[in-house]
Amino acid sequence: MSARTLRITMLVLTAIGLGVASYLTYVHYSGIKPLCGRNGGGCEIVQTSEYSKLAGVPVALIGLIGYVTILASLLAPENETSRFATAAFTVVGFGFSAYLTYREVFSIHHICEWCVSSAVIVTVLMCLAIWRFLRGDAASGRASAHAEIGGPEPAAPLRAARS
Amino acid sequence: MSTVEDDEQDLTRKQRREQARAQRRALEEAEAASAVRRTRLTQLGIVVVVVVAIIVGILVATGGSSKTGIAKPGKEAQKVVAEVTGLVGGIPQNGNTIGNPSAPVTLQYFGDLECPICKQFTLGALPTLIGSYVRSGKLKIEYRSLQTATKEPETFKTQQVAALAAGKQQKMWYFIELFYHQQGEENTEYVTESYLQKLAQQVPGLNLTAWTAARNDPELANSITTDGQAANSAGFTGTPSFLIGKTGGAMRKFEYASLTDPSSFDSAIEKLLKA
Repeated sequence: MSARTLRITMLVLTAIGLGVASYLTYVHYSGIKPLCGRNGGGCEIVQTSEYSKLAGVPVALIGLIGYVTILASLLAPENETSRFATAAFTVVGFGFSAYLTYREVFSIHHICEWCVSSAVIVTVLMCLAIWRFLRGDAASGRASAHAEIGGPEPAAPLRAARS
Repeated sequence: MSTVEDDEQDLTRKQRREQARAQRRALEEAEAASAVRRTRLTQLGIVVVVVVAIIVGILVATGGSSKTGIAKPGKEAQKVVAEVTGLVGGIPQNGNTIGNPSAPVTLQYFGDLECPICKQFTLGALPTLIGSYVRSGKLKIEYRSLQTATKEPETFKTQQVAALAAGKQQKMWYFIELFYHQQGEENTEYVTESYLQKLAQQVPGLNLTAWTAARNDPELANSITTDGQAANSAGFTGTPSFLIGKTGGAMRKFEYASLTDPSSFDSAIEKLLKA
């Protein structure tokens, strides 16, 4: 997959995640009942549970901020730093989704389809972001392969050893 | 040696030098790529460790409701008991049922005493239902057991039987309400014999000797099994779950819209009252 295709795929996924998080944030603040699947009350229960807020901040809003951050890192000029930022943000998003899924399954005992869809999106995003970061810009040349974040140029120790 | 031979030897030497240089370059590039990969993996590893630490911190911080569970003796406990008495006091109780036995509508509430979402309903929409329909004799509510949040089946049986044993003295709903009001943090095994004894002591007018004896009644344990089978038949997998219907008639599954807003319960009850 070319770097451009990968980036576009991730942008599309982030946009979908952003839509889900925006809807859940809107539902939270407007007080309306979320459109949910066959279980009807699952989303409502999760959305109104004591775990729907973290330190007073709705988790839906935290998710929205997370997706905006991921989107910003994807829209930034592509280099080692932006690829690392995307990977790091998606790992954070995955961790947060894992926590929320744990709460749904083991504490609330109800599943919110919207939250599950967001968890799936962020998991796929994380896998793609890590892959993109680890392969560097191999698909579009190796120009920035040595431009590490705060790290030494990898060839330096070799040169020193030869001299 | 001829000039041609010299040239061929030079060419071979040059080729060997170039080959060696190319090999060195390839090795350098491979080692450089490997170093870059190691650095990237280290960076990701650091991120993962930080994220895991944060999530563990959040899990600990949001562990659940009160960690201590039972209210401290004194003003705190008196406040809880007064609140529960104000809610269910003066309403007829019979075993697992609260409300007039001839109430036209019956609601069956499938719950697990350790389930925090049941607590949300019990402290959320339920008081309004009791105040509006149970107290006026239009609705009776039956509490039935379905294991969800409680990990150990033995603990589940012990706690649910303890509640049913209070029902032998028509005080099960005091026990249930006091339990949910003082529910401990989930997965902390807070339901001990001491916890159940303290709850029983809070139930106004409960004869503790009779309660202790009733806890050994096999009929109570059997009723928990029956409740579980009824829940399975209805297809319930989570708590709270509800069946509703005209008293003595067929019961149907009730899908609530909210556990804190009683309006969906109100609509279903009103519909049955008019039917």
